[in-house]
Formats: sequence, structure tokens, C-alpha cells
Amino acid sequence: MKFIKNFVLILLFLVFAEFAQCADVIKIGIVDTYSGPATTFTQDVLDGFSLALSQINQKGVLGKKIEFVTRDDKFKPDIALTMAKELVLKENVDILMGTISSASALAISDFCKKEKIPFLVTFAKSDKITGEKGHRYVFNMNENTEMAGRAAAKVLSKKNFKKYWIAGDDYEYGHAIANSVFNHLKELNPKVEKLGETWWKVGETDFTPYITQILSAKPDFVIVATGGAGMVNFQKAAQSTGFNKKIPFYQHTAIELSTLMPQGKNAPEGVYGTANYLFYYPATKENKEFAESFKKKYGRYPKSGALYGYITAHMIAKAFEKAGKVDKEKFIDALEGLTVDSPIGKVEMRACDHQIMLPTFFGITKKSSEYDFLIASDIISIPAKEYMPTCQEVLKLRK
Amino acid sequence: MNSSSILTQLIVGLSRTMILFIVSSGMSLILGVLRIPNVAHGSFYMIGAFLSYTITSFLGEGSYSFWLGITLAPIIVGLIGFFLERGFFSYLYEREHLMLLLLTFGFASILGDLVKLTWGAEYRTMNTPAFLQGSADFFGLPIPNYNLFLLLIGPVIAIILWFIFNKTKFGKIARAAAVDKEMVSAVGINVNLIFSLTFVFGCLLAGLGGALIAPIVNISLGMDHSLIMEVFLIVIIGGLGNIWGALLGSLIFGITQSFGILIWPQFGIIFPYLAVVIVLLIRPRGLLSSTW
Repeated sequence: MKFIKNFVLILLFLVFAEFAQCADVIKIGIVDTYSGPATTFTQDVLDGFSLALSQINQKGVLGKKIEFVTRDDKFKPDIALTMAKELVLKENVDILMGTISSASALAISDFCKKEKIPFLVTFAKSDKITGEKGHRYVFNMNENTEMAGRAAAKVLSKKNFKKYWIAGDDYEYGHAIANSVFNHLKELNPKVEKLGETWWKVGETDFTPYITQILSAKPDFVIVATGGAGMVNFQKAAQSTGFNKKIPFYQHTAIELSTLMPQGKNAPEGVYGTANYLFYYPATKENKEFAESFKKKYGRYPKSGALYGYITAHMIAKAFEKAGKVDKEKFIDALEGLTVDSPIGKVEMRACDHQIMLPTFFGITKKSSEYDFLIASDIISIPAKEYMPTCQEVLKLRK
Repeated sequence: MNSSSILTQLIVGLSRTMILFIVSSGMSLILGVLRIPNVAHGSFYMIGAFLSYTITSFLGEGSYSFWLGITLAPIIVGLIGFFLERGFFSYLYEREHLMLLLLTFGFASILGDLVKLTWGAEYRTMNTPAFLQGSADFFGLPIPNYNLFLLLIGPVIAIILWFIFNKTKFGKIARAAAVDKEMVSAVGINVNLIFSLTFVFGCLLAGLGGALIAPIVNISLGMDHSLIMEVFLIVIIGGLGNIWGALLGSLIFGITQSFGILIWPQFGIIFPYLAVVIVLLIRPRGLLSSTW
């Protein structure tokens, strides 16, 4: 009899503990790639997010703390979807976020649309996420290929290059970014022409034969559409062949820390690139504070992923406060059009298509006396309003 | 397209061939003598690259650390090969090839995970040593000095291989064992020792290939997968187990790729595979005589 009494007591205690916990926290599920080369980018998102949370949780949101659980999708859309389902059904998360893979993001987005769960995409770059596949429950917290292409085209159209060559990784991201840059460039400056294209397989290790071929075609400028590990590999080949000194070229994220730091002082100079975050620019108090507190906690400089993670945490906290209670629909209404302070100034979540409005920095790689890796010089900051596709353009895609 | 671009493309293609040759000759050796279709060969190549990175970053960047890297890394890889051969493969020689294939497949996964545990999932990069940086001009087109260095190393390795397998007692026995294992052991030769040494030597070549390619690529998990496919194809079109077949196969692979890029840059990657198909249609057993 005593045994049964104890058993019931323990059971009751567990139920209450669970109940109490449910009431006290806002739970966020993160599905992302935490194995393989993509970790370079996703770890920064996670660290930027936890850094912001540690500040937010000191005060709490609606009297609750924000907690998160992570799942590794191994860069595979089917695993990502399974993990997302598990987080929603078993862990009862209020919000999902994550994925660097666009295929995973689109799969989870589709699931969230059916289940009516808010999903905040933190690194996937496909413009389909908020474009033709966009819906009420999905938000994009970073730039997409369409935006990056438009920003680069805006700057390149003012330069005197006529004959362009396109080269890149033969997969969706490569083609999307290359097409976006060149098509918008052609719109802005009809005089440009495309001499030819070169595509190599993803994970190509030796770029030298491709580079010598492009050199013998003699274009004025090359748009290089590489992603991930290919960024560094291509720059190394450019450095050893002296490619950058003969023909200028552009890569999205060429000026970013993730590309330049692994190469140390040996990275090529004079490479054109765009990025959404540079820890040394703009040299504002907010940015310095963020970079310092990140470096103090994690022992490295923050990359763009850290900014996406940081903004995501603040957006979530502020939206729940504005909503007044933990309710998914109210959260979405509150998040639409919300503005938060960030290390790079105020950023807004555009209400019409759920795409975050980030400025893009255009710069050229250069040696630095201050750091033992190259940094961006001659930086031009392009405000979001000047280069993002309009609401009408995006919403037309959804029909 | 003019003569200078054809020449540079040829030189660059040849230098690519060298790495492929070094790795595929190791695989061909193991395949020919031990009859192991070693899927884990790519893993040894990857470990060679990571080890070379660790050695050079530990010693600091200088020419001596580079030389130490490309000598020590293959030796360590060879040692790992020795333990695997003695500990596992040696028990399976009498079984069918499928068993050996499965075992090597298992080791490819295990070694991949061990690399992840040791070096982490992030990719690493190291620089070419100072004396090999920069490029030489060939009629206005640049050839990186490191590629020229590879062009020197490749033939040296080929000559060493030729010497070992044609002039030394070990090489002669190994070749004999490849043809008829029973006969060799019947005349009182320790075949196990020959097998073990051959396996170690093959792994050493894979490690050397990895150490040599390390300065010009991203050293990352998965670099084994992209290579193993190419190396298998090279060994097959060259003739199973024939080292000179591996050289010929590598030449075909490297050069069709670099000329493919020149002729039709949008679809340059399909040319080597097309060459493989053509070779197999004409000579299904490979270009040179197979030891199988």
C-alpha cells in the first residue's frame, strides 16, 4: 500500500513538474547541420543566438525564459523533416528555426504550413523560401540569392566592365546566384555581354584548369558562383595562378570572415565580394560591443551567421512581448513589420513577404595591418530598400 | 583558343594526373597483389592530407615543415594500414571478394568518423610553402609553381615504383604472388610478409597523394568520396592491378578533363567519364593487361 502511495506521489510530482516547466518556458526547436563542412556557418548562428538569449533571459519574456533544443539534420532534407516533426510532436516546441540547406528549409517550411508552426529560416539562401513557396508561417532571417545578386549587380553596373564570364559550382545555389547577378546587371546596364560559362562539380578540388581556360578567353570580369568550401578553394587557386591580378572577379561572401580567415595573409587581394556582416564595419559602438562580447564568450570573431542568430533571438523575444502571450498566430502578427536593434543598426521584418531587410556590404579584399587575415576595403553599404525586390514582385511569384 | 592555351591546359592537366596516378597506383597495387578492392583507400588519402596539415601547422610554416609533412604523413598512414592488414584483412584472404569489399567499406565509414572525432567537422586549409608560391608564365598564361612541382614528383614516384617492382627481390616476389599465390608460398616464401608490405606500400602512396594535395585544396571530410570514384575508374580502364595501367588511366582522366574544360567549359566535367565509357566499350578488360 505504501508503495502505491509513493508511486502516485512521484507520478503527481512528475506531472506537475512537466506542467510547471511548460508554463515557464518558451521552447524553440533548432534543426540545422551540425556535422560536415557546413558547421563553420551553422555554429555561428547557434552561438549568436545563445549569446542574445543569455541577455534576453536575464529579464525574461512575458515572465518566462526562452529555451532551445537542437537537432542535427546532416545536410539531408529527409532527416531535417523527421527532426522537425519530432521537435513539434514530442518536444512541443513553440517555434522552429534553422537549416543551412535550402532543400531542408523548403521541406520543413511545407510541414510548418500544414501544422501552423512559425518557422524562422536562419541560413538557407534560396529565394523560393519567401518567394514562390512563401506562406504565412515561414520567415527568412538572412539574405537570399535574389537579394545578393541584385546588390552585386547594382554596384557592378556602375563599373566599366563589358565582357563577362560566369563560372561556378554546378548546383542550385551556384546557378541561382550567377543568374541573379548577371540578369539584373543586364537590366541595369544593357551594354554588358556574356562571353561564356564554366561549371564544375560541387566539391571540385583543383580549379587551375578552369582558371587557365577562363584566362585564355580574356573576359573583362568574372562572376564566380561558389558556395561553402568552394569559396576558399577558388580563392587559393586564384592566388597561386595570379588570376585576381589579371582579371577581377566577384564572389558573394568573398569578403566574409569565413572565406578570408582560413587563408591567413595568403588570400588574394582585389577580389570583389558582398556580405551581410563584417565585425569591423560599420565601426559603430553597437557593432564593436557585439563583436567583443562574442569573441569573449566563444574565442573567435563573429561571422554573418552570428548576426542572423542574434537578430533571430531578438525578433522572437520582441514579437512575443508585442503579442502579449505565447500564441503562434499572435506571434506571427506581431513579427510582421517588427523592427529590432542589431549590431548593424535597425533591421525590419518585411510584413508582406516575411523577408528580413538587411543592408548588404560590397567591398574588395585587401591586406590589413591590424589582423593576420585579409579584410574588406572600399566598403559600400547598400540599404535594403535600394536593392530588395518589391512586395509586388515577390507576391506575383506566389500565384 | 590558341597554341599557348592548349599548352598550358596540357601542363595543368598533366599535373593533375600526377596526384591521381600516385593514389591510383597504390590502389592498383593492393588490388593486383592482395586482390582487395579497397574502398577505404580514399580514407587513407584523406588521413594523409589531415596529418600533413597537422604536422605543418604544428611546426609552423616553413619549407622544412612542408617536407616533413609530406614524408611523415605517408609513413603514419602506412602504419595505420599495417595494423588494419594484420588485424583484419589477413584473416579474410581466403574468403570471397565481396567479404573484403564489405570490410573495406566498413573501414571507410569508421576511418571517416575517426577523422571527424580527431580533427572535427570544419574544413582546414594550409598554404603552399613559400618557395613554391606564385606562378610561372607560359606564353602569357600562368602555371602555379606548385603544379610544376607536382609534375616533377610524379615521374620520380613512377621511377621508384618501376625500380621496386622490376629490380628488387621484393618486387619480383610481389609480382609473382599476384599471379599465383600458392606457387609462391610452395617455394618457401613468406607470402604473408609480402602481402603486408604491399598493403602498407599501397596505403603509403594514398597518404602521399593526400599530403601532396593538401596545400592546394580544402582539407575536409568527404574529400575521400570525391576521389575514390575517380580512382576506381582509373584503375578499371587501366587494367586491374597494373601500375602502368594506373598511369595510363590517370593520364586519360586528367587530360580529357582539362581539355574538356577548354573545349566546352559548361560541360567540362563529363569528358573524363565519356572517355571511360569509350575505353570500356573498346577494351572492356582495361587498356593494359590485368593481373586478374
